[in-house]
Amino acid sequence: MGIEKGRPRRGITFYSYHNLMGRCMTLEDCFEEAYDTGATCFELLTSYIDNYPNPSSEWIDKYWGLCEKYNLRPSELGHWAENHLRRGPAMTDEEVVEELKTDFKLAHMLGFTSLRTKITCTNFMCDPEPGWQSYIEKALPWAEKYDVMMQNEVHLPTTLHTPHIRDEYLDFIKRTGTSHFGFNIDFGTFQFKQPEGFGPIVMSDYKDITKPEEIVDFLPYSRSCHTKFVNINENFEEETIPYREVIQLMIDNGWSGDLLSEYEGPIRFFAEESFENFGKAMEIIPDQVRRHQIMMKNILGY
Amino acid sequence: MLEFQSIQQRGFHNTYDEKGNITGFEFKFTPKYYKGLWFTQCRFGNVKVDGKVYDRDSLTYVYNGLDYTREEMFDTEKYWQFRTAITVKVPCEGGLSVGYHDVVMDFGWVLNYNGALEAEADGSGMGNMAHMFGVENKRRMLLCR
Repeated sequence: MGIEKGRPRRGITFYSYHNLMGRCMTLEDCFEEAYDTGATCFELLTSYIDNYPNPSSEWIDKYWGLCEKYNLRPSELGHWAENHLRRGPAMTDEEVVEELKTDFKLAHMLGFTSLRTKITCTNFMCDPEPGWQSYIEKALPWAEKYDVMMQNEVHLPTTLHTPHIRDEYLDFIKRTGTSHFGFNIDFGTFQFKQPEGFGPIVMSDYKDITKPEEIVDFLPYSRSCHTKFVNINENFEEETIPYREVIQLMIDNGWSGDLLSEYEGPIRFFAEESFENFGKAMEIIPDQVRRHQIMMKNILGY
Repeated sequence: MLEFQSIQQRGFHNTYDEKGNITGFEFKFTPKYYKGLWFTQCRFGNVKVDGKVYDRDSLTYVYNGLDYTREEMFDTEKYWQFRTAITVKVPCEGGLSVGYHDVVMDFGWVLNYNGALEAEADGSGMGNMAHMFGVENKRRMLLCR
């Protein structure tokens, strides 16, 4: 008997619109854009919660009103396990756990079941600062209580075979047996060539990338992934990331999580530099997200 | 609604005491970054206007109606909300003249992202994100009063 096919949901992370938010787009505008694309779920960052970390009851009511009006379900809340919020020595485990608990409670109240939890990294390859296991393990009972999965994002230039992914994160999952820690696999990790338009900004040398089949081992530990893209062409294709192959592997291996469109084109670095650039961002960003959603619909068939 | 630039022209004017004497000038600032920051993560730098430097420790930062020095912000548990401006008050005898001015403000921050931990953990530096986003913000702005 084969594995039952998965049915991932199509969603959008509102991070994609961040250059425009608060300047010419409101939170409701993000919901409306998403509704137009046929997406069914979304990611927020904690910063997009009004008066974070203490939103008013009026804001929470408004938020649920938007979910209902635009028929969108909460998927992932992006947050940070910051442990250097003060000068000098790092925060204690207890202080970090309190910080995480605040976000877990918020996530639960706002309907999110997965988190993109950013653990302190010490270099461009995202090697975690030693000792992270201690505070994350202490936070696990709270993640269980509020039913949220902390997901470490595997982001270019990190690959699924970068040593810390198996030696630290996967080892942690297996040792603790937790179902509340896992991975948000950012599709940028499969990117095989430098996209155009980045100028001097180099994200990777693309010599060591994640091969599509590597994702299979990690699917049981993931509820949502960032479907990263830098440019969708007029034929609705991303020319630097093997989308069809990766998504087919996810479906064939029974994965029914959320795929969250995450636009990270070069304009995000330059949007604030001039009227001309900001104007381009106003046109390019919503257009690119729409193109990506059409591509995802073409691949998924819904 | 904010202007898209980090340094806002709306809010740029000289400041006055009760007798109408000019005490300095002020402008509003909002980081271009994609998220909000805790006060303790902020690394404020100097302000420069037409090349003249105003030391960061001589400035007052106004958030939600409360005044803070740079040093006080390190001891304040406060989240600087995303896309919310802070007012930077600059003491300056006689203020600025009516007309155009080149305003520069350095601003960095600390975050646990993809880079080395902050080299100056005493907060004397400009954080650990400058390698990706720089620290300089500048804008030519018109002062009317």
